[in-house]
Amino acid sequence: MAEVQPTRMELIKLRRRIKMATRGHALLKMKRDGLIMEFRDILEEAKEVIGGMVEKYESARERLAIAMAADGVIAVKSIALSCHTEPSFTIKKKNIMGVVVPVIKREKVRKRVSERDYGVIGTTARIDEAVAAYEELVDAILEVAELETTLKRLIEEIEKTKRRVNALEYRVIPDMEATAKYISFRLEEMDRENIVRLKKIKAKMAKT
Amino acid sequence: MKKMAVIGDPEFNVGFRLVGIRDIYDVSSQEELEKAVRETLTRKDVGVVVIRYDLLKKLPYALQREVDESVDPTFVAVGGEGGIEEIREKIRRAIGVDLWK
Repeated sequence: MAEVQPTRMELIKLRRRIKMATRGHALLKMKRDGLIMEFRDILEEAKEVIGGMVEKYESARERLAIAMAADGVIAVKSIALSCHTEPSFTIKKKNIMGVVVPVIKREKVRKRVSERDYGVIGTTARIDEAVAAYEELVDAILEVAELETTLKRLIEEIEKTKRRVNALEYRVIPDMEATAKYISFRLEEMDRENIVRLKKIKAKMAKT
Repeated sequence: MKKMAVIGDPEFNVGFRLVGIRDIYDVSSQEELEKAVRETLTRKDVGVVVIRYDLLKKLPYALQREVDESVDPTFVAVGGEGGIEEIREKIRRAIGVDLWK
């Protein structure tokens, strides 16, 4: 604080900066609240979807293990080789208050048994079940991909914004205000010194 | 139209092969894993990358950050409850309250 020059110009500059910081602070606060609102909207949905995905993963693994145990690893692998219709989807980017998040549009991940690439006659129901379970899992993964990334991005942005808001509120603005106060006190003090000095001089001049 | 890619050990990948996903990286060593992740990060036709959660945690920190920040492709960690715990912890840190449950 000692390094600032106690001049009127410095004071004016400082006041301008305080004004701007307060305005920025208010804006950031609004951004933070907006982000948290957005976040809470998504959270409920994400909770469900992510939990669902974990469950589906477990059950798909189980089904696959059964199919592999009952029909042999080679049979499952050979069917895997014949599958080539990839699940299709499109991915777009959305902007939530400066946070870029993906939006995934799923198209036809689940297939009917007759639409699958392997013959139904040569395979068993266990394999069909395993495939169906994995199709569900992939569907869930695509949903999770969108929600989880959005959630993570929002959290990061909230943290960043929060840190900035707090830094302004508790550090930057009080510091500047203290400096402004110091300068105005110094100026007043200098004024008073000057008056006293003038009076002294006047008294001396009157004597001679 | 985008494609999915899967990174995992062969046993993890079989199921995804059944669904018809072709871009599958069988990794069994750390070098292969890093190479696969780097490749998927730069590929233009891949929109979502599925990766095993424990493999994701094995990546060097810088690469993990890159994976976290990438939107196209988006990475999804599958397997185990670790992912949920991680998000929960992050929420607790950012908001100050455990909103998850």
